[in-house]
Amino acid sequence: MQLEYFHLIDRIVELKIDEKKIVVEAQVPKESTIFEGHFPGYPLMPGVLLIESMAQTSGWLLLGLLKFERMPILAAVKEAKVRGSVFPGDVITIEAGLAHEGSGYAMTEAKIRVGGKLRANSTLTFTLIPFPNSDMRGHMEAMAQRIGFPHQAINP
Amino acid sequence: MSSTFDQVATIIAETCDIPRDTITPESHAIDDLGIDSLDFLDIAFAIDKAFGIKLPLEKWTQEVNDGKATTEQYFVLKNLSARIDELVAAKGASA
Repeated sequence: MQLEYFHLIDRIVELKIDEKKIVVEAQVPKESTIFEGHFPGYPLMPGVLLIESMAQTSGWLLLGLLKFERMPILAAVKEAKVRGSVFPGDVITIEAGLAHEGSGYAMTEAKIRVGGKLRANSTLTFTLIPFPNSDMRGHMEAMAQRIGFPHQAINP
Repeated sequence: MSSTFDQVATIIAETCDIPRDTITPESHAIDDLGIDSLDFLDIAFAIDKAFGIKLPLEKWTQEVNDGKATTEQYFVLKNLSARIDELVAAKGASA
């Protein structure tokens, strides 16, 4: 996890295209300037970053389902609940599943667990847009390689 | 069984917190009811679920942008309801 670059996913553990589900992992860094302010003496992973990590997880699922032909952009956050704290150094497991695929949009349900215990969940809406330029697409493909996106899952 | 319009009006009222009695078959979802594109996604989701269809929003938007259709054809509620009926009928025919 590189908080300063908003890279919140370390690796894809499992991508099941037929079940429309994904599991990823990430380790919260032990040190970050974010924790100097949030909070001194009691560093906590901010809830908005937990939501963003669920959005990024859902995004990788949607990129897989869409075979990298569209880019999912977060449009709405519903029913987000932070059920427990996530601390520096924690390894988080995030799972996401497709709840609905509409025309030009999709909804997912995502959960964050630490050591098997549920820490956050949300229902998210994405608009699915054409890649606006080759730079963005190239960046996403490089990121996919970095986190071990299983291309064989979408091109068997 | 309530009409398609009644179901759509109820969905819009509940999704966008618009008084039900202000929603008529002649209401334009965007121009009259002030529903924006993001709120319309919630409405589309509820309609997709309620009717077991997939509103072709991208196709409609493209047709409007290309000047091949007007927003009234798809977003005046009596017309939206007619489109939903067509999609439900087409789904039934192909099942």
